[in-house]
Amino acid sequence: MEAKNIPDKSRRRFLRNLGIAAAAVTVSACGGKKLTETSDTAKKREMTYRINPNTGDKVSLLGYGCMRFPTMGMKNGDESDQTLDQEAINKSVDYALEHGVNYFDTSPAYCRGFSEAALGEALSRHDRSDYYIATKLSNFAPETWSHEASVQMFENSLKYLRTDYVDYLLLHAIGMGGMENLNGRYIDNGILDYLLEQKAAGKIRNLGFSYHGDVEVFDHLLKLQDEGKIHWDFVQIQLNYIDWLHAKEVNERNTNAEYLYGELSRRGIPAVIMEPLLGGRLANMTEPVVRRMKEMRPDDSVASWAFRYAGTPEGVLTVLSGMTYMDHLRDNLKTFSPIEPVDTEEDIFLQTVANEFLANDLVPCTDCKYCMPCPYGVNIPGVFGHYNACLLNGDAPSDSQDPDFQAARRRYLFGLDMEIPRLRQADMCIACGECLLHCPQRIPIPDQMAKIAKYTETLKSYSDIS
Amino acid sequence: MLKAVRIILALLSFAAVCLLFVDVNGYAAAHWGWMAKIQLIPALLALNLGVVAVLALCTLLFGRVYCSIVCPLGVYQDFINSLRGRIGKKKKRKNRFRFKPENTKLRYGFFSVFVVLLVLGLLGVVANSFAGMLDPYSSFGRIMGQLIVPGARAGIGTVAQNVAADGYFFLDSVPLPSPLSFAVMAVAVVSLLVVTVMAWRGGRDYCNTVCPVGSVLGFISRYALLRINIDTDKCNGCGKCGRNCKASCIDTKNHEIDLSRCVVCMDCIGNCSQSAISFSRVKKVPSRYENAPDKGRRLFLAASAFVAGSAAMKAADKTTDGGLEPLQKKHSHSGILRAVPAGSASLEHLSSVCTACQLCVSACPNGVLKPTAGFDGFMQPHMVFTQGYCRPDCTVCSDVCPAGAIKPISVEEKAVTKIGTAHVDASICISASQGVDCGSCSRHCPAGAITMVGLPDGNLRPVVDEGACIGCGSCEYHCPVGNVVGLGSKTAAIYVEGIEQHRKIVH
Repeated sequence: MEAKNIPDKSRRRFLRNLGIAAAAVTVSACGGKKLTETSDTAKKREMTYRINPNTGDKVSLLGYGCMRFPTMGMKNGDESDQTLDQEAINKSVDYALEHGVNYFDTSPAYCRGFSEAALGEALSRHDRSDYYIATKLSNFAPETWSHEASVQMFENSLKYLRTDYVDYLLLHAIGMGGMENLNGRYIDNGILDYLLEQKAAGKIRNLGFSYHGDVEVFDHLLKLQDEGKIHWDFVQIQLNYIDWLHAKEVNERNTNAEYLYGELSRRGIPAVIMEPLLGGRLANMTEPVVRRMKEMRPDDSVASWAFRYAGTPEGVLTVLSGMTYMDHLRDNLKTFSPIEPVDTEEDIFLQTVANEFLANDLVPCTDCKYCMPCPYGVNIPGVFGHYNACLLNGDAPSDSQDPDFQAARRRYLFGLDMEIPRLRQADMCIACGECLLHCPQRIPIPDQMAKIAKYTETLKSYSDIS
Repeated sequence: MLKAVRIILALLSFAAVCLLFVDVNGYAAAHWGWMAKIQLIPALLALNLGVVAVLALCTLLFGRVYCSIVCPLGVYQDFINSLRGRIGKKKKRKNRFRFKPENTKLRYGFFSVFVVLLVLGLLGVVANSFAGMLDPYSSFGRIMGQLIVPGARAGIGTVAQNVAADGYFFLDSVPLPSPLSFAVMAVAVVSLLVVTVMAWRGGRDYCNTVCPVGSVLGFISRYALLRINIDTDKCNGCGKCGRNCKASCIDTKNHEIDLSRCVVCMDCIGNCSQSAISFSRVKKVPSRYENAPDKGRRLFLAASAFVAGSAAMKAADKTTDGGLEPLQKKHSHSGILRAVPAGSASLEHLSSVCTACQLCVSACPNGVLKPTAGFDGFMQPHMVFTQGYCRPDCTVCSDVCPAGAIKPISVEEKAVTKIGTAHVDASICISASQGVDCGSCSRHCPAGAITMVGLPDGNLRPVVDEGACIGCGSCEYHCPVGNVVGLGSKTAAIYVEGIEQHRKIVH
């Protein structure tokens, strides 16, 4: 009997590795049997809504993140084909609207710049009053920082999204590059004033910002509000049961969500939540954790715990989920229709899960792909995803005396080759550091690449056939 | 009975050699790598005198069993011959052979050519692979290595990836595509055609005219202790044995067998309706005196003696997320002295010993060995660092080489054996010419031989300590130039050029 279980175990491990690295989010968490049931029950059940105190918008607690739209390559297996799969996007958007989701979050930078147009195409088939659009004034390349380029970026957003106004507009990823970038990107060029004008003219209904990184910038912007210089209608922060108290342990540059949310809540600013799943990592937990979760809520997916946690605080307006696949969407609809807040006992349980999670030395990559394309061809999120998945699933062995060493070693190495062509693996990083400018998690990518390359080399040298 | 044993042993040996070439994870090489090492010409070249002695003894005892069992090209011809016996009109299928006298002119002509080429090879005048073109094992190796293995590997890779999804892992890396050479492929295609056509038309004609191994063993098998005998008392002179002898060596009129051409396939024993033919010691043995159990024991001895013998983009332009930078497969530098594997000691040694069987090319887990297309070192392996580098902890090629062209080497020895030197093309190096903070070659150098030094313009340029560089090619493999389409070069900015004479570096 035991022998029979071995392939199953490794199969599940391996599928998880693939899932987490390929697309993240909830793929392995949704049992096939539940899905059909979910799709029926979700229709009958009512989505939870939260009211935006500024405009009275009734916003669905589940928001649709448009950063991880499906590509044609996912359908035909050709990694180089990154054209968005418009048919699948339309289908997901229709389904989401039908089941009460009304908040769609995109940006000019997402999906290699094609996210807005794809979303615009999908939404234009519905009545404009049925949904809210959130997009951003992105801050990627300094040459887009001029006043003219910024105005152009905003006007392009309206054009691609096929609308006259944006419901929620964000200054994108405030805190990356510190105060200097904030001033250079949004203040000195007068673009914040321009956005306020647009708001007065009704082209922007809510103005806010998304925050990553340097907390000084976050505090500064809230201080402006305290001084009465500006009013923030909403703020987007990273919140999940790891980042609530342990943000610094995941990534020393991050700030605990408890503090961020507290600052917003104190001022009555609605919070939009990003990374509720930490880039999909909270959908793939170790086997003992999964067992405990299933004992407490046998029919709920692993991912649903993280979503319920993020949606529990009353000041949260919406929780964004980058739903690449229909089964992600169906599972999330089940979680939020309606949400069952996390109770005290569950909250304590999730804190123990957080502690166990942190015991693994994971790379805090959320698969946002801001770093991509790496000019030297490395598949950065792919490498991190594979490495993290292997760490979590026990496929990153360190003790060559361990009886499972060779099997784990093969799963690591063969899985790596399968997912990532050799020329895109960690050892091809030249440590140029271009990616460092773009990582919202501020991961020391070249250092991590060197670490992973070295580890992979070590595993390669332990061939058992000789 | 004897024929069945011959067929079983032949199939086992054939399958083993085939698997040795297809081998994706080193399992076959580790467990029956010796199957290549008992091939006569490689064993001779490797000066494996024990193997040569055992093969000679076997032949002296039992005749040319080697040609029917050990030689993969021989078994292949039997397969073609057997196919011929099953396809087409019955008239043409049956009784299609007849006794021919030995074609001494052709046979010794080819043998002389082989000897001359071998001597020229050993003297270093031409690559030994020209002699290797006549070696049956090496010919078979080229057919496998260039025509069969690439497809088989791709197939196995696909299967491995599919079963991996079900949690079964039998490999530790997805197999790299086999390095191909059109020149070697052409030679392999010609060999395959010649051997197949000759086998289809004339049974073992190739073995008894072209093949140098057949000629050498033929000298010995004339004096074989056990041989095919025709009992003239029983023989009714029907001639069936002679008309079905694929070696065309049974002179039915005179009841004689040309032992130098007989490959002891035992077909004639079963074909004789009078039971007049036996595999026995003396020419005439009255069958009633023959001891049946003894026959079995002999066979067992024959088999065990045989087995025992063999055991021997720019970030500043970035406005969006996602995407993958286009990559290409790097080209290797041309017009430079080729690097050859550690263990081959020198270009000269490799050139004079290697018969170009391609086993090392097939076996290399790092995909760095490629057959040479030029006249110098024709078909013999050299190193390319476009899809991997020669890992200092790997000695696979030296482990599998049956001819001693790449001599066994330990990991410790290999780590300090210099086979080439890295050279920098500063004009395309992104660090030296564009000031990109790269240094990839320096970081990945296992010998610590590459350092980045400042140029007057402030850029850093890699420099190579030629005394410390072992020529593993890690720098060339890891150089982004050549991989990244956007960098405008098809070759790396740092590349390894071979040296004539390998040597140990001292730290």
